Amino acid sequence: MRLYWKVVLINGAVLVAATLVLVFGPVSVSRQPAASEAAVLLPGLAVMLLANALLLRSSFRPVEKVVAEYDAMLERLEDERAASNAKALAAQEQERHRIAQELHDEVGQQLTVVLLGLKRIEQQLPPDLGEELATLRESVREGLDDVRRVARQLRPGVLEDLGLASALASLASDFAAQSPAAVQRQVAPGLPPLSPESELVVYRVAQEALTNAARHSGATSVVLCLSRVGGSVVLEVTDDGRGFDPTIAGAGLRGMQERARLVGADLTISSTRGATVVRLAVPVAA
Amino acid sequence: MTAARILLADDHALVRRGVRLILDQEPDLTVVAEAGDGAEAVRLAREVEVDLVVLDIAMPRMTGLQAAREIGRRTSRGSAPRMLMLSMHDNEQYFFESLRIGASGYVLKSVADEDLVGACRAALRGEAFVYPGAMSALVRDYLDRKRRGERMPETVLTEREDEVIKLIAEGLSSKEIAQALTISARTVDRHRENILAKLGMRDRTQLTRYAIRAGLIEP
Ligand SMILES: Nc1ncnc2c1ncn2[C@@H]1O[C@H](COP(=O)(O)OP(=O)(O)OP(=O)(O)O)[C@@H](O)[C@H]1O
Ligand SMILES: [Mg+2]
Repeated sequence: MRLYWKVVLINGAVLVAATLVLVFGPVSVSRQPAASEAAVLLPGLAVMLLANALLLRSSFRPVEKVVAEYDAMLERLEDERAASNAKALAAQEQERHRIAQELHDEVGQQLTVVLLGLKRIEQQLPPDLGEELATLRESVREGLDDVRRVARQLRPGVLEDLGLASALASLASDFAAQSPAAVQRQVAPGLPPLSPESELVVYRVAQEALTNAARHSGATSVVLCLSRVGGSVVLEVTDDGRGFDPTIAGAGLRGMQERARLVGADLTISSTRGATVVRLAVPVAA
Repeated sequence: MTAARILLADDHALVRRGVRLILDQEPDLTVVAEAGDGAEAVRLAREVEVDLVVLDIAMPRMTGLQAAREIGRRTSRGSAPRMLMLSMHDNEQYFFESLRIGASGYVLKSVADEDLVGACRAALRGEAFVYPGAMSALVRDYLDRKRRGERMPETVLTEREDEVIKLIAEGLSSKEIAQALTISARTVDRHRENILAKLGMRDRTQLTRYAIRAGLIEP
């Protein structure tokens, strides 16, 4: 039976019962109800409500079960979506890594060979030919610079070669070069080591937070801080700019959340005019 | 005058050959040994008497940085040779790390044809070869501290040098500075040298001390 009819029937039955009691029972209600009448009416009303509630509850039980199942399914879907996003992110990082390596180790080296070879030949040629070769050498250099630039965007080589502190320093100086705001870097000494995946997440979150601060905040001062708080390593990027509503996320902020999730880290953004803080807490592996 | 003896380490044989030919062309430089990875470089530095080791950073078995740390530590037979790092990465952090582990400088592969010989000579003289990308970080720190009114070693920069140092701090390359001031790139480089000398950043040890004080290098 449809739930709607069930409810109508139950309510109807309760009302009919009440009416019968009122009509055939030993009760009556005057125009101005006396206290004795109220003493009968009120318990009667209570009985009616209770009966109604009990009867309805059993009818609604299956509905509640369905709602709970539905909620659980939504949650599961969300988890699955996040997991597959995480997997895609990891795959993307891996692919970037491979391409960058290839660029560095193959294309870059070959171009270096050409560059050095041209330089050597140039010195043994008559001046007019030498000049032509010199322009060739410049375009090889430009090619090499391009390769390097692309590889650097694909993969933060500093992070792998020199570690997180140097990589953050490098982000800070990139920031200083592209923004008029002053950037301050505070990296606590002797931080516990993180897994390479976690370090990459810290790096990417810092990168996006700094890019946002440079692009949107209009801040005059930015602080990049890495420290230890309890069992976590905490990254904080703070700016004193105009602030924003962090619940309205763009691709950049969503990317940060997804990356944080990837390594079980906790990302929180708080923002008011004059103080925006992006905070990432990465649990240190026991 | 005898030529300075150089040990050259790079895992890419053709790059190694190219670098060798460039260095051997100079009368005052000669490559006496070649290594194809970091571990071999460490071994050769122990066996062969050399004045300078040129190390590629990205090498298998042991990176150039790890090898440099090993070679710099070796003190059994007199002083360790001077070291110069060679790399593909255009990032000042590599320069600072190189200084930290005792190398004299950092040469980007894409300008090796122009800068390598000069860098080798500077290293052999005990000077630092300041990688241009790192120079802007160094002078930015210098200018910041001057602005904050910190006491600085008394330096008298000429008006031109003052203009150049500001542009360097903004991250402009020699070529861009030359265009901005309508002077030749060579003149810019000369100013660069003079500025480094006046700020006491020419000498390797002095520069390292400065960078540590400025927080650019972890001690
Ligand atoms: N530090 C900040 N100060 C002020 N506003 C900010 C800051 N960070 C983010 N915002 C605001 O939040 C929005 C969303 O940021 P988000 O990084 O998600 O996207 P985006 O930077 O616009 O684009 P992208 O996907 O390239 O990162 C920004 O467009 C900006 O309006
Ligand atoms: Mg963004």
